Order: sequence, then structure tokens, then C-alpha cells
Amino acid sequence: MSEIFSPDFLFRNAILGGLGVALLCSVVGVYLVLRRLVLIGVALPQASAAGVAAVFLATGHGQGEGHGTHGLALLGSLLTTFAALAGLVAAQRRARAPAEWGIGALFAIASAATILFIALNPKGDIEMSGLLRGELLAITPSDLHVLGAALLAAGIPFFLFRRDLLLCSFDPEFARTIDRNPVRYDALLYALIGGSIALGVMEAGPLVVFGFLVLPALAALHLAGGLGAAFAISAAIAASSFLGGFALAYRADLPAGPVCVGVAAVAWLAAALAARLRGRRRALATLLVLGAAGAASLPGCATRGGRAELPAPEPGRAIAVLPFDNQTGDPLRIPSDLFWKDVPRALGDPFAPPSPTVPDLLAQRAGIELARRGFEIVPPDRVRSAISHAPADPATAARLALQAGFGGPLLLGTLRRFTVTDTVLLVRLELSLVDPKTRQVLWTGEARQPVPIPAAQTLPEIVLDAGGPIFADAFDKH
Amino acid sequence: MDQPLLRVEGAAFGYAGRPVVQGASLEVRPREFAILVGSNGSGKTTLLRGLLGFLPPLAGRVERRPGLRIGYVPQRETLDPLYPLSAADVVLLGAWRDLPFWRFSGARERTRAREALDACRASGFARQRYAELSGGQRQRVLLARALATQPELLLLDEPTAGVDAETERGLLDLLHDLCHERGLAIWMVTHHVQAVGTRSDRIVSVSHGRVHLGRAA
Repeated sequence: MSEIFSPDFLFRNAILGGLGVALLCSVVGVYLVLRRLVLIGVALPQASAAGVAAVFLATGHGQGEGHGTHGLALLGSLLTTFAALAGLVAAQRRARAPAEWGIGALFAIASAATILFIALNPKGDIEMSGLLRGELLAITPSDLHVLGAALLAAGIPFFLFRRDLLLCSFDPEFARTIDRNPVRYDALLYALIGGSIALGVMEAGPLVVFGFLVLPALAALHLAGGLGAAFAISAAIAASSFLGGFALAYRADLPAGPVCVGVAAVAWLAAALAARLRGRRRALATLLVLGAAGAASLPGCATRGGRAELPAPEPGRAIAVLPFDNQTGDPLRIPSDLFWKDVPRALGDPFAPPSPTVPDLLAQRAGIELARRGFEIVPPDRVRSAISHAPADPATAARLALQAGFGGPLLLGTLRRFTVTDTVLLVRLELSLVDPKTRQVLWTGEARQPVPIPAAQTLPEIVLDAGGPIFADAFDKH
Repeated sequence: MDQPLLRVEGAAFGYAGRPVVQGASLEVRPREFAILVGSNGSGKTTLLRGLLGFLPPLAGRVERRPGLRIGYVPQRETLDPLYPLSAADVVLLGAWRDLPFWRFSGARERTRAREALDACRASGFARQRYAELSGGQRQRVLLARALATQPELLLLDEPTAGVDAETERGLLDLLHDLCHERGLAIWMVTHHVQAVGTRSDRIVSVSHGRVHLGRAA
């Protein structure tokens, strides 16, 4: 457990950051549910996401452009969240129409705007959507510092004014008679809600934020006998759901956010059933709900899907590693060391030699790694001269390979993700080994483990460093 | 003669600049039990809100004795049953009146809440969830909460609405005792003149936005 806090632990930032968001949302969420503002919890994260997309579109920024990217995104998130919140509160005070009309309209507009802003942004919509979706693994140490400061900034007034917040939420008129100003404490509560949502969306995405705003609070209100207990149970369910969900997602190779929300949803359903019990049975059921959510984090409750082992090397049958297909949505070109070499291509010279790409380097590295494992490899230059582009499908690959005289197995690769953050490389590379004569797929493998990387590396350095772990993940049986 | 707790002179109260009650002049005296009566929409709740200070006067003036402590008992339906609060928790809200935000709620506040519950004969269901109480029990809890603020003046908005006759009698007896034993001034809005009239010192009727002061029936 203590390894989570070690700076060397790969998932340290993701776990601590996600846990911070889950705790913040779960505590604020109790008031969101009690004040019957759940729909705001749906619409505001979407508005926040639209703000992130709008800032990126306006500034032309994209993922992987340093710390400024996150700062700008946070700014957009905060601006739109608070603007939307102010608009909703103003409309609610006028009370000319039901509050949910405005919230519904905000959700529709924000959802459409988010998609349009991403579509209009030329800087790789896949990476952008990753940022909007909330990439826990992309949380940097500086994000953790911001989150820690935000937790303190939210926690201190929340604790100090806990009585006044309750008074003004439960019975604002009575609060006024004992010299509390409900407008002031409503403003504090809305600031806490808006800030939590804006920050949470940046770090974990709208789904996780909404899920953790609502589900732990709903579960806690089923079980708790008092308000203090509701906050404590909500936070405990959020923490155990997040940790359990994260472990489950890691082991089952699934996106962490939806799995964490799924675990929280199971906790809520269990709490709804437990609420029918009374006395000690309910207390026992509460402990079981908390335990069950956390139990998902125990090793072995879910196992990673088994990987097939590479077939044994066959003497005389050299493997041809064909060019890898790039499905990341980003060209992933490697800039030349000598910048003028890139000038003809930048000017549109059709005869200028193409600059290498990350998939090219990965294909080269795949050949080296196969050779290390005892396989014979067709020289890469020979393959390149015969097949210069990634084949569309295994059948085409087989036909081209036979025409070129390669009788041995073909290694096909599709790169679906290659996202560089400050600390990790998020990669998804699908590989298959195809017999060109029978067109039979002999083996399939996949690399999707995040790879830790030192800061300030160039793309070739990253591929050089990460190549070993990537292909160990794909080729070696786990 | 005691100095009035609250004095209203030619005041108008209303919403969005439109007066609902006009030309109201009255005094709230210590230890008096007054009822505010009138038909629906006559403006009695508006007058009560004006006395509470929720509505600033559109005309005239309202003078409160400096440091006047007002306890307010709203209609019980205005409170959200979703909150996981016991009856004792609700009463404790009143005991927090003088507690600054940096201090923890302690034995003093709990004692004050317990005494208020005892005074309202509500200790028997103090640990039950507020949302699960009957109408009469809820009304006692809200009364205890107001008492826990240690008020000099209690303003109640239709505390006997929707409760059966026996519960109503019990509540009115309780209010009568509080007025005479604790020396509280009590003003309450009600439709039930017959039931309350004999216990009250004054009947204030509101009709078409005009306030008429009278004596007990």
C-alpha cells in the first residue's frame, strides 16, 4: 500500500489524483443530492468539458505541449463551469420556468459544443478527446499539487462552515432568523461544487466526476443515520470504489473511469438493498458494502486475460515485419535533427523523402526484439523496398508478401494509441503473425501497458527506451 | 409598562415592489400571546415575514428592540425530508445560534437542545428521524428548535395546520404555557380562531392587506 506514495510507482499520480477527485466529489455530492441539484451535476461537467475544448480550439494547443496545456484547460474548465453555474442560479432565482429546463438546455448545448470544438480542432482530436475524457494516467506531479491545494481550499471552508452550510441548506428562512446569510453560504456551496467539477473534469473526465458526485452520496444517504455519517460513508464508498475500480480496470485491461463508476454503482445498489434492513443488520450491511467495493482491489479477484505465447521459431522461415499501420489520428512524424531536411516536405515537394514516423521505428524495434527471441528476420530494407506502406488487411499483406517472395510468417502491426505525458507513455499496439500461404493468423498479441518515461525526451528517445517494455508486453506470455 | 419588542409604524410589505399589506401599525409586547387571522391571501403570512425581517418595509418603518432574539417556527411542510436528521439534530440547529464558526458544538449546545425538547414534550422521539415523525411531532420539534435559540419573541406560521384536534389542543396548551411560564411573546398565524381565541391576549386580523388590532375573544 505504501508503494502508492512512492514517486517511483508508475500509477502513483493516477491513484492519488483520482482518489482526490473521488473524495472531493463524494463529499460535495452529498449536498448536491440533498439540495436536489443532481441534474446540475450532469450538466456542469459537460459545460466544463466544452470549456476545455473551446480553449484548445481558440489557442491551437493540444495534448503533449507541456504544463501550459493543463493550465489552459483548467482555465477553460473553471470559466465555463462558473459561467454556466451563475447562469443557472440566476435563472433559478427568477423562477419563471422550472430549473430543469435550463439545465437540460445547458447539457444539450454543452454536449454539442464539446463535439464541435473537438471536430474543428486540427490538433489531433483523439488526443484531445483523451484529455476531455479524463486521462488519469496523464496526471502529472504538478496536477497533484494543484489538486492537493484545491482539496485544502475546499476542505477548510467546508469544515469551518459545516454548520452554516447545513443550516442554510436545510432551512434558509430559519437560518436568517439566527443571523446567518443563506445567500453567502449558497455562494460558498456553489463555489465548492463548481470548483470540484471544473478540477475533477480536468483530471478524471466528466463521467467520473458525475459518477462520484452522485453514486457514493446516494449510497451513503441510504445507509447513514445522520448527516456526519452520510459524509463519512460517502467518502469511504468513493475511496473504496475508486481503488477497487482502478485495480479491476488494470487487471482486466479496461478504461479506469467507467470501471470505477461501475463499482460505485454496485455499491449504491447494494446500499439500496441494505437500507431495507434495520439496526445492527444495517450496520453490518454498511460494512459489507464498503468492504465489497474495496475488495475489487484485492489481487486475483479479476485476472488479466491470458496471452498466447509466440509460436516457436522455425529454422529457415524468416519473419517479415511489415510497416505498421498508424490509427492514432496523429502523423507521429519524427522531426529531422537537421531542420532544413524537413523544409522541402514542409513546402509541399512531392518528391521529398518522407520523414520517419513512430510506427516505422516501432516496426524496426519489433524486428530487433523478435531476433532477440531467436527468430530469423527478413532484413527491414528488403521488406521496405517491396512493401512501403502498411497493408490494409491480412489478405492484402499475404498477397503482397508472396509477390515479393516472402514465404515466412508476416508480422502485422496497428498502432492505435501513442500518447506521451510527462511521466508515462500510453500505448496500444496490436500485433498479429500471419502465414502468407494459408492466410491463417498464427498469433495475436497486444501491448497496452503504460510505460514510465523520463521527462524531456524526444520521440526517438522515447521509442528507444519504451520499445523493450512495449514488445515484452506484446510478445511474452504474462 | 414594558417597552415593546417590536414596533411597526405605517408599514407596507410586499413582493417585487408591490405592497400586499399596507398601513400596518402595531406593537409586539413582551409576554403577549397574539394570533394573526385572516382569509387565504389576506396578507397575514406577508405581515409575519415583515415582522421577521424577511421582507423590508416598502413604506413606513419597523423598529426592533436592539438585540431582539426572534424564534421562528415555519410550516412543517417547508422542510425537506431527504436530510438524514433526527429530531434532536433539528433542535440542535437552533442551539447553534450563538456558536461562532471556529468553535466545536459541545455540551452547552446539547444541553440547550435537550431542555428545549423537554419543554416541548418531544424528548420521547428525539432520536427518531425527523422525516418519519407525525405532523404534530414535527411541529413540536420545530417549536423546540425555535426555543433552543433562546428567543424573546416566537413567530409561528400556521403551526396547527393539518393536525388533528387533540394534537392541536396539545400544541396550543404548550404555547400558552411557554408564554406564561417562560415569559415569551408569541405571535402566530392561524385559521383556527375558535380553538386559539380563548388562549390569546390579542387577535390581529388581516383583511385585504389592512391590519386590524383587537382584543381576545
